[in-house]
Amino acid sequence: MGEIVQLDETGFETIVATHHGEIFRYLRRLAWRAAEADDLSQETFLRAYRARQRLTADANVRAWLFAIATNVFRNHARSERRRRAAHDTVRATRRELETDGPEAEAVAGEVRTLTEQAIRALPLKQRLAFTLRKMHELDYEVIGQSLECSPESARAHVFQALRKIRTTLNGHALPATEPTR
Amino acid sequence: MKKPQSCIQIEPDLIATATGEASAAAAGQVQAHVATCRACRDDFARYRAVDAVVGTLRGDMPPAADADAARARLLGRLADLKSRLVSYKVFPSPLGPILIAASEHGVALVEYLRGDVADSRLFRMAGVDTQEGGAALERLHRELLDYLAGRRTRLEWPLDLRFARSDFERAVLQATAAVPYGAVSSYTGIAGELGKPSAVRAVAQALRHNPVPIVVPCHRIVGIAGDLVGYAGDRLGLKERLLAVEGVPTAHARSRIVREAMYHYDPNPDRQYCVPSCGGILHRPLGQVKLFASREIAQSVGLSPCVDCRPDLHPLAH
Repeated sequence: MGEIVQLDETGFETIVATHHGEIFRYLRRLAWRAAEADDLSQETFLRAYRARQRLTADANVRAWLFAIATNVFRNHARSERRRRAAHDTVRATRRELETDGPEAEAVAGEVRTLTEQAIRALPLKQRLAFTLRKMHELDYEVIGQSLECSPESARAHVFQALRKIRTTLNGHALPATEPTR
Repeated sequence: MKKPQSCIQIEPDLIATATGEASAAAAGQVQAHVATCRACRDDFARYRAVDAVVGTLRGDMPPAADADAARARLLGRLADLKSRLVSYKVFPSPLGPILIAASEHGVALVEYLRGDVADSRLFRMAGVDTQEGGAALERLHRELLDYLAGRRTRLEWPLDLRFARSDFERAVLQATAAVPYGAVSSYTGIAGELGKPSAVRAVAQALRHNPVPIVVPCHRIVGIAGDLVGYAGDRLGLKERLLAVEGVPTAHARSRIVREAMYHYDPNPDRQYCVPSCGGILHRPLGQVKLFASREIAQSVGLSPCVDCRPDLHPLAH
């Protein structure tokens, strides 16, 4: 009788080792609480495991996982929205930032917090498109697949998000950038 | 004050350029525009500043301990899912539709389907999560077809005997798996090997529930008189066909092995096998006695020709 060997040839543990960190960060950015990101990232990978047979050898695993994670989060957000409708508590964390001095740090910290709040306040599709593009630097093609829309729509969502964030920051001093390229 | 049309038109490209998204051509146009338009120059600087703030957020990492803990929990749940998950698929075969199901440990079920797949044993098992399809199953199917066509004599599949109902049944399956291709043993023989000579009926029951027929060759186990007894319910024809593939002669009308056409082995210190006419061996019950379709098979399990009847010099005519 044959010895016990793995029939699972896709090396799913390798996929987890390679991509879990980033998918967790993605969901951590989207989720309201840390524990949610934990649950959602588990669900993402368990779903991926079940669907792994449909993954072709030349597939973009990273894009595939982002699409699943996005889907998992959207489902989650739909049910959360009803639950949370009454009392929305936007979590905004202050984080350390390397700057020149205490004053600059305070300004920069405030701007960061406002920006995070603005991102959280975006309509879901814009927030997802923005996060996928600006935080994880995915192609619009891939973002479109994750959001079930065209790459052009995905781009439009990101730009709309940028406009809103910019409006939120109106009247606030922003850290200086180098002059026009 | 109303924005000039040219400013409205260039706005998407302005955002794109300021946030590193624009093509070179678009960026060139934007640069030319902001060189002459004060309002858009301010806009541009604002978007660049926004982009810089966004860039600082990109580097934010949740605490490594959180990610590690999340991954550890994921791996735990994954292990649990894997242990429950059994993939299956129904394949055509010369013996009719066959369902093959495998877990991460190995093949768990080979089932001759009579009706709807939903009636499979697979869906009556507790603690099993099923999933259809899988590339590994396709390979198993090809190997099974090769086996049934006589192009392959072994199915070296890792097995997952979770569907056996007891350790005794697993032990019966293990002992049966050791009966080589082209050889025949008896229920009594298997019971004896397990040190439970009176458990003949329990052995037959265990093989009746064999979750992996063909792979664990219960078709090589017959009654003490060489009768085929049972297979897959009442499908003795399947048993006969599987034996025929291996060159084991059967008398269809009487549903039994043709012992006269097989080499015999009754355990002896010299480990010698005989032709059936040697010393009345043909008439000994198939308790300890084992049968082989060819000399090669007998020799492959370490037996040598009897020095009296000399099957090496006087092979059976086929």
